[in-house]
Amino acid sequence: MNDALQETIKELQKIPWFQELEKKHLEKVASITTLRHVRPDEVIFHEGDKEDNLYIVIAGRIALEIFVPHRGKIRIYTVEPPDLFGWSSVTPVVHQRTAGATSVMDGLIACIDSEKLRQACEEDHDLGYLVMRRLANIVASRLLVTRLQLLDMFSHPESQNAK
Amino acid sequence: MLNDRQPEIGSTIVIAKVAFNAILSRLREKGYETIGPRVKNDTLIYAPIEGVDDLPRGYISEQEAAHFRLTYTGHSRYFDAIPGAQSWKQFLFPPKAELFALRKTNNRWEASTPESRSPSYAFIGVRACELAAIQIQDKAFLRSDFNDPIYRARRERVFILAVNCMYPAGTCFCVSMGTGPRAKDGFDLSLTELEDVFLLTIGSEVARNLLDGIPFELASAFLLRNADQGLERAASQMGRKLDISNLPDLILNNLDHPHWQEVGLRCLSCTNCTQVCPTCFCWDATDEMSLDGKETHRERVWDSCFNPGYSYQAGGNTRPTIRSRYRQWLSHKLGTWKQQYGTLGCVGCGRCITWCPAEIDLTKEIPMLQEEAR
Amino acid sequence: MVAQLTTRPVAINTEHLLEPQWAEVTSITKEINDVSTYWLKFTDPAIQKSYTFQPGQFNMLYMPGFGESAISICSDPNDRSKIGHSVRFVGNVTNAIGHLKVGDVIGLRGPFGTYWPMKELEGKDVFISCGGIGLPPLRPAIYHILRNRQKYGKVTLLYGARTPADLMYTNEFDDWRKANIDVQVTVDRGESNWTGRVGVVPMWFYQFRFDSRKTAVLTCGPEIMIRFVIYEALARRIPLESIFVSMERNMKCGQGSCGHCQLGPYFICKDGPVFRFDAIQPFFNVEEF
Repeated sequence: MNDALQETIKELQKIPWFQELEKKHLEKVASITTLRHVRPDEVIFHEGDKEDNLYIVIAGRIALEIFVPHRGKIRIYTVEPPDLFGWSSVTPVVHQRTAGATSVMDGLIACIDSEKLRQACEEDHDLGYLVMRRLANIVASRLLVTRLQLLDMFSHPESQNAK
Repeated sequence: MLNDRQPEIGSTIVIAKVAFNAILSRLREKGYETIGPRVKNDTLIYAPIEGVDDLPRGYISEQEAAHFRLTYTGHSRYFDAIPGAQSWKQFLFPPKAELFALRKTNNRWEASTPESRSPSYAFIGVRACELAAIQIQDKAFLRSDFNDPIYRARRERVFILAVNCMYPAGTCFCVSMGTGPRAKDGFDLSLTELEDVFLLTIGSEVARNLLDGIPFELASAFLLRNADQGLERAASQMGRKLDISNLPDLILNNLDHPHWQEVGLRCLSCTNCTQVCPTCFCWDATDEMSLDGKETHRERVWDSCFNPGYSYQAGGNTRPTIRSRYRQWLSHKLGTWKQQYGTLGCVGCGRCITWCPAEIDLTKEIPMLQEEAR
Repeated sequence: MVAQLTTRPVAINTEHLLEPQWAEVTSITKEINDVSTYWLKFTDPAIQKSYTFQPGQFNMLYMPGFGESAISICSDPNDRSKIGHSVRFVGNVTNAIGHLKVGDVIGLRGPFGTYWPMKELEGKDVFISCGGIGLPPLRPAIYHILRNRQKYGKVTLLYGARTPADLMYTNEFDDWRKANIDVQVTVDRGESNWTGRVGVVPMWFYQFRFDSRKTAVLTCGPEIMIRFVIYEALARRIPLESIFVSMERNMKCGQGSCGHCQLGPYFICKDGPVFRFDAIQPFFNVEEF
């Protein structure tokens, strides 16, 4: 096993989900992952990009933003360790990024090649099940956060009630 | 046997009905305003009375859900008619009370408070349920951590002549609530009306002093037995029944029961029930300012949990539906009241049933909560 | 249920119902767009001298002609020279308060209500999780902790608002951090120049380690935020008896008499506003109760 792979495995094992993986699955995912250091204001991808990676934040903070005409770029979520972003690439519906991702501070992210991950899941359904189950959890909690944001609970009460 | 000493507290004396006027005069001499039941506009109200002739002699009240009729049958008794919409609450806890007035001078407000002395009322003819209601309101208004000065001033002065009901009406259920038909305590005098005489039980020193000098006769065992039998018969003739053995839990464990929705569709949120209920105590404070903004009056007024604005708060309403407001009223009155004040808040007077235009009857609504939620 | 003692209100009139004491506006601090803090001092120096309050309590502020509003006290209980109230301009009374100038007077009755159990929390880790206009009633508790830092364990403030412009008291956060309070901030959404967290308050619980045996959670804010904060706390096995909530309802008298502020058996003005969560849990999630 080469140094880069060992380094990758070491970083990935900081993430609780990876600690639960069997050795062969861990090594498989690590083999399609690259580590990347990021700096403040570094753009990881733009809204609309057709890139295809799943990212895990190992250190630092990544802001997800959407451009709204007349309002500018709005930051709608920040990702911190051990959270992930770019998950839609694993089961793509829209084949482009629906939001941009920018690093807010110095950090370290793990970039997993989604096409190769999809392939690995097809070849090994056990791994596939674990990955999809994990994604389902992530999506569920992300959905709840989004719903709470949607409720706009801190807004002026009068604007909330259409009565 | 005539006796010149004052009767003992707890003893029962017998007087001729016409002699009652002497007691009323005595009360007025001592500065009391004697208030009692009177007929007005085909209904019964509580208003000043001077003598027994002002009482609704010969009347009865027929009461049912959304139905009240005062009928003259010509019988010879004074206190048969079960009360109407009014209760004694309006005297101790007036519907409108001036709190203070403010006048602005030099960017500062000066307060002035109403001069008038609190009236001394003598309540003549307080039913056992109404007496229980006064005692319940005492717990709300007179507490160790706070007491209401308006209520306190009137309550301290009030003389209570209770009356034991011999002929309950169609919506009465004091027996179920444990509040009647006999007044137990908390009265100065309690009266039981027999065919020819009044029996008066002495309840306090104030009552003893009042009767000082009036020749009295202790009630005989025969008369006392008459009274007991009459009250026993009355207790068996209640118009309504309510099983309270499972309260407050039945209500508090069923706050999401579908029946609330059903009642919510019938209830008009008209606030009649809270107005006529002798224990309801919610109030609001209003400000009335002069056009130039230099003077303002603050008043306390009755409020009701059925009013939509009651639960309004910073741009929203925590009880926007009638269903939620009806549930608040009932789950308070026969539910959470127990934890707040040690007893349930209902005395079984039946007014809320009689005066509800939608015929909502809590003695029927509460048992519905026992039905399995489908 | 914890039967919390309440202090006997100093500034009330027991003979004349609702008659207020009067306080002068000594200064006004604009906090965020629709919130300003009014610093009040009684016109009667004797009352100012004897007035004390506990963190979490509130005063009824009276604008003649408009009515009263229950406003939490947001200042340091140790500062006896003035009393701070952060007022959000949202109704008739609060908007009338918004027109006051320094030197004007306002009616004041109080203090009312139960308070944060600072004594009971000694020796514990204190996790304060609040949002929006829920921070003002907790600020006096933070001041108390600052004054008695060694009596408390790990202290965290997780505070959120709608946008960065809606965050209150931000100029104090560094001082609090210096006093070893972990101040963490989040917003529901931000502009592209916001480098802080974006995401609702409850979601950030996963960033903290809790010792469920010795952590107490204090929370205040919109009820929906409180609900999800409590879910997160319970998911980390923090017992119900270690969670304290400040509730809010329409208040008129402040003294448990007029009935308006009831939630089940509790009068929010006298049995609250601070509750141990196990006391209100049976009624908290009943819709429209």
